[in-house]
Amino acid sequence: MLQLFLIALRNLAQHSKRTLLLGGAIAGVTALLVFLQCLSSGIHETMLESATTLSTGHINVAGFYKVTAGQSAPVVTQYRKLEEVVRRTLPDVEFIAPRGRGWGKLISDKGSLQAATGGIDIAQEPGFRRVVRVAQGNLDDLAQPNTILIFKEQAKKLEVNIGDVIVLSTQTARGTNNTIDLRVVAIAEDVGFMSMWNVYMPIESLRRLTQINDESTGALHLYIKDINQIPRDMDLLREAFIAAGYKVMDREAKAFWMKFESVNREDWTGQKLDLTTWEEEMSFLKWTVAAIDGLMYILIVVLLIIIAIGIMNSLWIAIRERTREIGTLRAIGMQRRRVLAMFVIEAFTLSVLATFVGALIGAALAGLLNAAQIPVPTGARMFLLAHTLKFTLDLHGIFNGMAVITGCTTLIAIIPSIHAARLKPVTAMQHIG
Amino acid sequence: MPNADTSASPIVSIVNVSKEYTLGETVVPALRDINLSVAPSEFISIAGPSGSGKTTLLNLIGCVDTATTGQVIIAGQDTRNLSERQLTELRLHTIGFIFQSFNLVPVLSVFENVEFPLLLQRKLGSAERKQRVMDLLTKVGLADRAKHRPSELSGGQRQRVAIARALVTRPKIVLADEPTANLDSKTGENIIDLMKEMNQIEKTTFIFSTHDAKVMAHANSIIRMADGKIVEDAKRSTKSRDQEIRA
Ligand SMILES: Nc1ncnc2c1ncn2[C@@H]1O[C@H](COP(=O)(O)OP(=O)(O)OP(=O)(O)O)[C@@H](O)[C@H]1O
Ligand SMILES: [Mg+2]
Repeated sequence: MLQLFLIALRNLAQHSKRTLLLGGAIAGVTALLVFLQCLSSGIHETMLESATTLSTGHINVAGFYKVTAGQSAPVVTQYRKLEEVVRRTLPDVEFIAPRGRGWGKLISDKGSLQAATGGIDIAQEPGFRRVVRVAQGNLDDLAQPNTILIFKEQAKKLEVNIGDVIVLSTQTARGTNNTIDLRVVAIAEDVGFMSMWNVYMPIESLRRLTQINDESTGALHLYIKDINQIPRDMDLLREAFIAAGYKVMDREAKAFWMKFESVNREDWTGQKLDLTTWEEEMSFLKWTVAAIDGLMYILIVVLLIIIAIGIMNSLWIAIRERTREIGTLRAIGMQRRRVLAMFVIEAFTLSVLATFVGALIGAALAGLLNAAQIPVPTGARMFLLAHTLKFTLDLHGIFNGMAVITGCTTLIAIIPSIHAARLKPVTAMQHIG
Repeated sequence: MPNADTSASPIVSIVNVSKEYTLGETVVPALRDINLSVAPSEFISIAGPSGSGKTTLLNLIGCVDTATTGQVIIAGQDTRNLSERQLTELRLHTIGFIFQSFNLVPVLSVFENVEFPLLLQRKLGSAERKQRVMDLLTKVGLADRAKHRPSELSGGQRQRVAIARALVTRPKIVLADEPTANLDSKTGENIIDLMKEMNQIEKTTFIFSTHDAKVMAHANSIIRMADGKIVEDAKRSTKSRDQEIRA
C-alpha cells in the first residue's frame, strides 16, 4: 500500500534528527564497506597483475628434472611439445611465455644475497614494463646477453650501480656449480616481497649458466582470457598431460622454490611436470588479501551490530511515541500485518536511502584516492606488490554490501515491528497528554 | 424518536454481558450482567459517573475488547466467534470511531486522514474516494482545509475531521467515547450537533459517552450507568430532557 510508504517517509522526515543520526550511521558503515571493498579488490588486482608479470602466469606449466634422486632442477625439457599440448587443450590461451627458473647466489665486491633468477625474453613480454618501474638504467638492455635487472634494495645490499658486474653462482641441472658474470643494466623500484627474492636476466644467459639446451626452460607462463576459468583449465591441462604420457606432480599451494626440499627427498629421476596457478605460486602472499578481507568483515560485522541496536532502539522509541496512533489504526480496521509492514517499511526506506548515499560517498572517496595515487608506505609494499594504492570499483560487491546492510537492518526492524503489530486497539482510547 | 427504527432488528445487541479486569490478584468488575439493544439509526448517549463502565461498554461494542461472559452481537455477528482478523474486518466495514483526543495521523493531511479507511477497505477507485472524502469534508465544513496537517487545525476542527473519517466508510455504527471532553463546551455542542446532523442525513447509529449534561441533552435517548450496571435506559421525552438540563 502506497500510503504506508508515504507515512513511513513522512515520519522519517518528521523526526529529522533521529533519521539523520541513524541514516548517517548506516551511510557511514556502507561508505566504509564500499571503500574497503574497493581497496580490497584494488589490492587483489594489483597483486594479480604484479605477480602474474613478475614470477607467474595465470597458470604455469613447470616441473622438476632430476638427474639423480637427490638432485632436482626447476627445468622442463622440450618445452615446445608442452606448448603444443597447451594450445591443443586450451585454444583460448592468450599468451605463453617461457621463463627460465633458477635459484642462486649473487656476489658483488661488497656483499651477497640469495635470489630466484628469472630468465626472461624481454622483447617478448611487454607487460613486464607496466609492473616493473626502472629507477636507473634501461630495461631494453636486458635483451643483451649476460645482463641482469635487480631491485633497489638488492642494489643497496650489494652496493652496486648501473654498469657494475656481479657474479651469479648456481647449481647446474647436473648438480655441479657454475658461475657467470652479469652486468647490471637496470635497477627497478622495489615491489614488495617480489623484489626481495627475484632478479631477472636474459633467458639465454640463464640457459647457459644452468647448462640446459634451447629446448628446455624453467616454466611456461600461460595467460588466459578469463581467470575465472582457471580451475577448469587446470583440470583440462592435467588430463591432457597425463594422456600425453607425462608424469604430473600433485597440486600443492607453494612457490616452486619452496618445493626443492620435498622434491629432492622423493625417489624418482627424470622429468615431472608441475601445474600451478598464480594463487598457488603466490600462496605465501595470500594471507595479505585474506587479512584485509578478514579485518574488513570483522569491522563491518561489529558496526552492523551497533547499527542494528540503533535501529531497534529508534524503532522502539518511535513505537512508544506512536502507540496511540497504532491503536487508532488498529481500531479503525488496519490488520496487524499492515502495522508490521508500516514499521518495517520505515526501516527499509531509511536503510535503502542511507546505503545508497553511503555507497556513493564510499565510491567517491575510493575514486578520489585512486586519482590521488597515494604512495604505498614501504612497509606495506612488501605485501601489496605495488607503489601506489589502487582502488577498484567492484559494482557487484558494492551492490551486495548494500543489500546485506539493508537486509540486516530491515530484518532487525521486524522485532520491534512485531511488537507494534501486537498492540491492542484499545490503546487508542487511552489518552495520556 | 424521529430517527430510530425500533421495529428493525437491533444493530447492537448485548446479552448478559459481564466484564472483569484482573489487576494482579484482584478482580475489578467493570460491567455486571448488562443487557442492551440498540436499533439502527439511533442517537444514544451513555451517561454515568467516572468508573461506571462507559468506556468498557463502548469498547465491547467497538470490538476492540472482549467480554468476560455474555454475548455481544454487532450487525448480526456474534463477536465471540470471530478471529482477531475478522474482528478487524468488522471494525473496518461496520464501525466508525471518534476518539476523545481526535487521534488523527499527524503526518497525513486532512484529506489523507479521511481517505485512509477507504484505502484499507480497497473497495473504491481513486476518483470515487476523492469524491466521497470531499463530500464529507464539505459537510463538516473543512473542504478548504483538505491539504492541512492536523497540527494546523483547532481541536474542534480536528474532531470534525475525525467525524468525517468515522463516516467515510458509511459504517452502520459510530462510537464516540467522550468526543467533547477535550473541547470547550460551545465547540463540544457544535460537534454533537454535527454528529446529530450526520445521524439524520446518513442514518448512521451513533453511540457516545459524555459527562457533560448539555451535550447529553442532544441525544435522543440516554443510557445511564452506575457501578457497571445500566440503571436507566430511557427513551427520552421532551420533559425528561428538560429535567436533564436542570439537573
Ligand atoms: N485496563 C483496565 N484495567 C483494570 N481496570 C480497568 C481497566 N479499564 C477500566 N478498568 C476499571 O473498570 C471500571 C470501569 O472503567 P471505565 O473506564 O469503563 O469507566 P468510565 O465510565 O469510562 O469512566 P470515565 O468516566 O472516568 O472514563 C473502573 O473501575 C476502572 O477502574
Ligand atoms: Mg471512560
